[in-house]
Amino acid sequence: QEKAANMKENVVSATVFTLLLFLNTCLLNGQLPPGKPEIFKCRSPNKETFTCWWRPGTDGGLPTNYSLTYHREGETLTHECPDYITGGPNSCHFGKQYTSMWRTYIMMVNATNQMGSSFSDELYVDVTYIVQPDPPLELTVEVKQPEDRKPYLWMKWSPPTLIDLKTGWFTLLYEIRLKPEKAAEWETHFAGQQTEFKILSLHPGQKYLVQVRCKPDHGYWSAWSPATFIQIPSDFIMNDTTVWISVAVLSAVICLIIVWAVALKGYSMVTCIFPPVPGPKIKGFDAHLLEKGKSEELLSALGCQDFPPTSDYEDLLVEYLEVDDSEDQHLMSVHSKEHPSQGMKPTYLDPDTDSGRGSCDSPSLLSEKCEEPQANPSTFYDPEVIEKPENPETTHTWDPQCISMEGKIPYFHAGGSKCSTWPLIQHNPRSSYHNITDVCELAVGPADAPATLLDEAGKDALKSSQTIKSREDGKAAQQREVESFHSKTDQDTPWLLPQEKTPFGSAKPLDYVEIHKVNKDGALSLLPKQRENSGQPEKPRAPENSKEYAKVSGVMDNNILVLVPDPHAKNVACFEESAKEAPPSLEQNQAEKDLANFTATPSKCRIQLGGLDYLDPACFTHSFH
Amino acid sequence: MFSEFDKRYTHGRGFITRTINSCHTSSLPTPEDKEQAQQINQKDFLSLIVSILRSWNEPLYHLVTEVRGMQEAPEAILSKAVEIEEQTKRLLEGMELIVSQVHPETKENEIYPVWSGLPSLQMADEESRLSAYYNLLHCLRRDSHKIDNYLKLLKCRIIHNNNC
Repeated sequence: QEKAANMKENVVSATVFTLLLFLNTCLLNGQLPPGKPEIFKCRSPNKETFTCWWRPGTDGGLPTNYSLTYHREGETLTHECPDYITGGPNSCHFGKQYTSMWRTYIMMVNATNQMGSSFSDELYVDVTYIVQPDPPLELTVEVKQPEDRKPYLWMKWSPPTLIDLKTGWFTLLYEIRLKPEKAAEWETHFAGQQTEFKILSLHPGQKYLVQVRCKPDHGYWSAWSPATFIQIPSDFIMNDTTVWISVAVLSAVICLIIVWAVALKGYSMVTCIFPPVPGPKIKGFDAHLLEKGKSEELLSALGCQDFPPTSDYEDLLVEYLEVDDSEDQHLMSVHSKEHPSQGMKPTYLDPDTDSGRGSCDSPSLLSEKCEEPQANPSTFYDPEVIEKPENPETTHTWDPQCISMEGKIPYFHAGGSKCSTWPLIQHNPRSSYHNITDVCELAVGPADAPATLLDEAGKDALKSSQTIKSREDGKAAQQREVESFHSKTDQDTPWLLPQEKTPFGSAKPLDYVEIHKVNKDGALSLLPKQRENSGQPEKPRAPENSKEYAKVSGVMDNNILVLVPDPHAKNVACFEESAKEAPPSLEQNQAEKDLANFTATPSKCRIQLGGLDYLDPACFTHSFH
Repeated sequence: MFSEFDKRYTHGRGFITRTINSCHTSSLPTPEDKEQAQQINQKDFLSLIVSILRSWNEPLYHLVTEVRGMQEAPEAILSKAVEIEEQTKRLLEGMELIVSQVHPETKENEIYPVWSGLPSLQMADEESRLSAYYNLLHCLRRDSHKIDNYLKLLKCRIIHNNNC
């Protein structure tokens, strides 16, 4: 058994020895199968042929054969490389007939030697994406110095060979670069598809290097062409320089002059260049007056046309109208509610304007407007009532326009309507107003209701009338007349008499109308004024006592107001306390029946005062009752 | 757009192997080298270009829609896709106009290869979906090169009489 073991051991060791010997022999010879090759680059210079190069793997020590095999997308056949030579060692060149665009080639290299073989990885190649042309050829550079123009550097080149530009199969783009010999960085310029280029900015006396390269529309840039040297002559004059220097100096001088001028006369120049924006100028507006606080004078100077703006005159609405056509005329400001005890308020005619110069200070103005028979029925049914003027000194303008029924009756727009909404409540302590509501009411409504009101109004009127100063023109008289109009009495006598008539003597009560809204056409919407003298501060709304108001149905040619009672009590205006409540249609009945009589009255009620005509609504009452 | 996509999603992952025979326009008899291109007559050449353009209308539309609907839609890719879609439409319009003027007798057969890769763009498996996008963009890149080259050939042939 020992002998068997020894035998085995011998065999094993012999085998090992043999193997080792064999391996040593092989290693000494360097014979191994080849290492794995690798295709590292494929290029096509013209989209008609292409070449691939591989890198061999480790050498097996034995001669190794390489073969490149490929197949194409959509084909099953495998081909071998057609040309191993043209491309140099370890290359495969595909000629025109083997080259297809837009098709993937799948290729691999096989290295074989005696010991074995190894295959490279497969490479997927599409010729479309491996295009790289050769550099451009025949680059020529020269300095050109035409007589009448600036000198420049002119360079030309030609495309590389074998590229078909004529049929459009290949498209080339170029780029040039140059630098002075000693410079570190290149100056690069893209030249597009042209094969020539001009350089203008050069340093005289220097030696320049120029190169050019190209690229296909889709592909890689070529290598740079060999450098071409060019010497710029020393007399390469940049003619611009002197010109530019003189231009610069001149501009500097001019700038200095301008600065100096501006410094001296800065402001006037600025205003010359940038004229100041003109501020608003109001004709007749005197700022000094404003400062002094004499607003009346100020406003009178302005005239009262188109003021306040109609869009927001609702806000400016005042209760009472002042009918006055002259600056000197002022009506007594009577505010029965607030100063019941003060029968007479000290009044004084403010020779200056009232803010509420409804008639716009001029008879002519009123007459203009008076002549237009407006038919503007529903413009002023604005429930927003003016708040009770707490300030007795409020200015109101009077627009004797009562709401009529459904537009059948034309309206009369007093000329001063626009002035009616003078907001200058605070400015004008003295104002007078007339409450025409009651007048209308008297004209239209039942005899009873207005009577009471009239009585109260009459008291007020009496109070106020006492304090009314004499007036020069008829306008005041007119107003007085209105104030003192007697609702029920059979006053055939014209109440509105020029001047001589003092309403105070009569016991006619006054009714007042509150103007609660003036529309843009100058129509007044009237509210019956509440009589607190009646003892009831805020009368509850009673249908019978509902305020009726007359609407000015028209203007006669002599500026006579033709008032019409408003049958539709849906005017909220009729209700003072609830401006926004819908009024019941109260007066309808009365209005309708009164209407017939109404139209006959105007002539009789006409009063002519200084160019302004007023209708005494009192006249109407006779007809109505 | 293709290189953007590849760089971002698929580089080095061997997706290119799956692009073999994946383009829907490969059925069209398009010339693959200069000689073939010069042998085609002008009329057929124009019709061919129009067919390729038509066949890309729908894939481009779906490409834009799908990319836009991605959760983190890559803005660069999306904007390029939108632009390409737009330009392709305009190019098609121009080409159709030219064909109608130069070859009015051409029958409008409207035959073009149909793309049916939408389901693969919407697959749940990310690998498959990426592969589908890769193929689509690969084919788009190739076909746009083709059309570009064909039009330049036609331009030099018709306008400059092969003397560009």
